[in-house]
Amino acid sequence: MATTVSGSALRRLYLSAYNWVVFFGWAQVLCYAASALLESGHEAVYAAVERPLQFAQTAAFMEILHSILGFVRSPISTTLPQITGRLYITWGILWSFQEAQSHVLVTSLIISWSITEVIRYFFFAMKETFGFAPYWLLWLRYSTFLVFYPTGMLSEAGLILVAMPFMKTSRKYYLMMPNKWNFSIDYRHELALDTALIIPGFPYLFRYMVDKRKKVLLAAKTV
Amino acid sequence: MKVSVVSRSGREVVKGGIELKDSAKVADLQEAIHAKTKKYYPARQRLTLPAQPGKSGKPVVLSQKASLSEYCEKGSGSLTVVFKDLGPQVYYSTLFFWEYVGPLIIYPIFYYLPVYKYFGYEGERVIHPVQTYAMYYFCFHYFKRIMETFFVHRFSHATSPVSNVFRNCAYYWTFGAYIAYYCNHPLYTPVSDLQMKIGFGIGVVCQIANFYCHILLRNLRSPTGSGGYQIPRGFLFNIVTCANYTTEIYQWLGFNIATQTVAGYVFLAVAAAIMTNWALGKHSRLRKLFDGKDGQPKYPRRWVILPPFL
Repeated sequence: MATTVSGSALRRLYLSAYNWVVFFGWAQVLCYAASALLESGHEAVYAAVERPLQFAQTAAFMEILHSILGFVRSPISTTLPQITGRLYITWGILWSFQEAQSHVLVTSLIISWSITEVIRYFFFAMKETFGFAPYWLLWLRYSTFLVFYPTGMLSEAGLILVAMPFMKTSRKYYLMMPNKWNFSIDYRHELALDTALIIPGFPYLFRYMVDKRKKVLLAAKTV
Repeated sequence: MKVSVVSRSGREVVKGGIELKDSAKVADLQEAIHAKTKKYYPARQRLTLPAQPGKSGKPVVLSQKASLSEYCEKGSGSLTVVFKDLGPQVYYSTLFFWEYVGPLIIYPIFYYLPVYKYFGYEGERVIHPVQTYAMYYFCFHYFKRIMETFFVHRFSHATSPVSNVFRNCAYYWTFGAYIAYYCNHPLYTPVSDLQMKIGFGIGVVCQIANFYCHILLRNLRSPTGSGGYQIPRGFLFNIVTCANYTTEIYQWLGFNIATQTVAGYVFLAVAAAIMTNWALGKHSRLRKLFDGKDGQPKYPRRWVILPPFL
């Protein structure tokens, strides 16, 4: 981490910009989703949010670099699985399989993700720009996940299952045997990998947040 | 002497402490704690000296064979130790046995039994010679590991937390099945005869070298099972600290050259990463211990695990 004043000021400027921009991206997602839902129903949500969702979620790839380079305190052990999971759903499921796009789980997914991210990026943007975040924002950031993490995870798992028959029939991203490297990819690998990652991964990430919540809210109260 | 046993939060683990002879060893303290608490057998106990305010760094772990008086403050006849429960433990030999027996059984299942029918591949399977040799090689490797576990290795710690059984078995058994699936596949494409021979040749040579490394490591420790560290010498240890891991990695490389599957190479990469992590720890531990001061020999300049890279 840079110790010179200019180094850390530059870091703050960059992270402020980054967090505000991504905050506005997710705010757009939430607004478009809400208006599409009210006007046309859940089938129209994906089409309305696709571009801002892809922008805001893909930009989050930078957070892996931020963690590795030490710009932020978040450990890579939670950042990496979180981001790769999100990118997989955004591109590997929603963008790849049109048939899943009109499912009602897309709505629950987008609501869960966008509310969480709007709060989270607003929280980080406030901290980087103004050096503090009000207690109510801290509380929201560390409490809403208790609802939206499970609903988001269930929506993700549900959408993978919804897309699965279309993975089989379309053979998208398939690599079949025989080949020189004796390798194959098909939907069963996806299913196996996803199960193997979600079943231990979700409790690990959830417990990490619960422990962090206790620590953070306690520290804020005693100030 | 009176020994007070507290938890890391300061609570007394044994009410009123424990009275022991002044000449008592740490092992005697562990027995006494077990007697008083019933469920904390010695292998589950981690005893350390309380952290000194102002001093940082890792807490001092009490060594089982040492005398308690070594840890007492000068002049006082009492001692406070900090207790941590390591959770239910299994012997390392138990852990290793269950890790290794999985692949040993799973691989032949894919070779001998008509499992591919359930993956949608009907009909007769043509078995290439390389697939048969691969099965013997793979199974021999894990059989060798089990034998070494019971007859060769001398462990620095006798036990490991029971949760490691699930984690380690998941790793070995899943990768065993993953590799076995592709190596025995009905649509498997064998490499050239020459490549197969080179691959298995390298593998066999490295397995023999690996076995010899294990013998050398065994001879560094005494049979009384006190563990401890010595500077490894002889054979490849003269140039690389973790020659046993080096030979293990090259042995899998040989297997992969002969069988050529992405699954095998993925396993090689993951295993090499794990062993490299261990090797870095071991190398730095040995360099810290053998620093050339206080009569300790200085640890010689050596590769860590994979010459000429690391």
